[in-house]
Amino acid sequence: MKARSSLEREFLEKWRKGLQIGKEDSTILERKDAIKLSADVAIAATKNAATHWRRALLCDVVSENPTNKHVVEHILGHKFKNTATRLTACSRRILRISQKRRQKAAPRRVVPKSRKRNRSRALRMLVPGGEEMDGVLLLQETLDYIVSLRAQVDVMRCLASIG
Amino acid sequence: MEPNVEAVQPQFRSGISGAKIVFDDIRGLIPDPPETDGTSFTALLELPPPQAVELLVKEDFPAKTMPLPIFPSNIALIDRASMFSVFASADNPPDRTNIFSASSSVKQEPLESEYHRNSSSPAVSDQSLKSIKRKEREKKNMQVKESTKKSKKVVANEASDGSGEQLPYVHVRARRGQATDSHSLAERARREKINARMKLLQDLVPGCNKISGTAMVLDEIINHVQALQRQVEFLSMRVAAVNPRIDFNFDALLAVDSESSIDNSYLGLFPPSIWPEGQTNGSRQQQPWLIDGLHLPSMGRVDNSSNFITPENSLLSYDSPANSASLHSSQLKIEL
Repeated sequence: MKARSSLEREFLEKWRKGLQIGKEDSTILERKDAIKLSADVAIAATKNAATHWRRALLCDVVSENPTNKHVVEHILGHKFKNTATRLTACSRRILRISQKRRQKAAPRRVVPKSRKRNRSRALRMLVPGGEEMDGVLLLQETLDYIVSLRAQVDVMRCLASIG
Repeated sequence: MEPNVEAVQPQFRSGISGAKIVFDDIRGLIPDPPETDGTSFTALLELPPPQAVELLVKEDFPAKTMPLPIFPSNIALIDRASMFSVFASADNPPDRTNIFSASSSVKQEPLESEYHRNSSSPAVSDQSLKSIKRKEREKKNMQVKESTKKSKKVVANEASDGSGEQLPYVHVRARRGQATDSHSLAERARREKINARMKLLQDLVPGCNKISGTAMVLDEIINHVQALQRQVEFLSMRVAAVNPRIDFNFDALLAVDSESSIDNSYLGLFPPSIWPEGQTNGSRQQQPWLIDGLHLPSMGRVDNSSNFITPENSLLSYDSPANSASLHSSQLKIEL
């Protein structure tokens, strides 16, 4: 017996909502894009879009294609303000410099720093909105992100296997 | 004990008032045990500590307007969350300190009890809270004598209820023989935070328990996230391929869910050529995959039924005799 967690239920509901407003698409690629879009917005809208990565994901979705905003607002249920949620390149540079200064205080030599830096950079690129997070926040967000991704994958797998 | 708390509290009232409101709301929101599929990971992360930390750190959160996420009833987890919250708050005001000897011993208890859920956790959380209070009292006495060691004060929030939702702040001091420089203390707090979160991640990502060293674990985490993202891509393609009408399947899915006696993972359809990699299959060994050809004969067998839902049910239940053949092959596949 498959018991669905509350997260999965919420995701399913919101995904369904998002797909309802999609028009009838002819090609499979268009359909796939619409499905993926609704799924991503739905998973970002769970738990009231509280965490960094959720907000970043929604911003990315909206800035990629302005027509997506309708889907976002339909799923969220309220107006989505795109203002000032992502940093500009300049402010991002400032943030990184301040982070570097903070990290210089205690040097450690367990693993060569360059490799650790590369890994954290890779993780930042994967998690939406990762560039603007420091080490601690990054791990937190990754945790939450992995949980949500898992829920998303589980629900999608069920839906795909039913058809 | 109470008077001390009251005296210290006013300094921080502005800072934690928002958090207090939040946690009062949280207390009212304690749900039943989370409906997970039995793994400790998902129970652990029904609401991970980060949420609790975030709620604390972001004091400008509109706590009233924002509906709060549901917290698990895992008391030990909430205890850990409270530990982290102290870490989180350590960064902001410069005169607060982090937890060392007190929390390091207290942490052991929640860490071990993480995987024992309901019965043991309230006892542990009570114990840990009591030990925190005891240590606070000790600290109060010792502080007068030892002035060389720095100690940062955090507000102690008394009146913890049985659920352990309230935030126990701890009065702590730097460990013996360690630098008491404020910078290195902050650094150490930061490292502790990072290590704690890495441990949680290790528990979450399958196969990370045996790996030692944060770098390799990070590699695994990155792999896992990439794999999940790719799975989303492929699954959305599958969903698109499976049916021409998008909302058609949702009704079926919801109906099937409401039956709630079906494990539909065994008869999954997918073209094996585009399935990503063995790692995901290894991590989901209880859900093996079948090839397309198996699905078609079973569809042919049951298409004489008029109702759309019942063929699905018979397809997906173990007991249906019409599907013994497909189940046989599924079992063969499992053994492979």
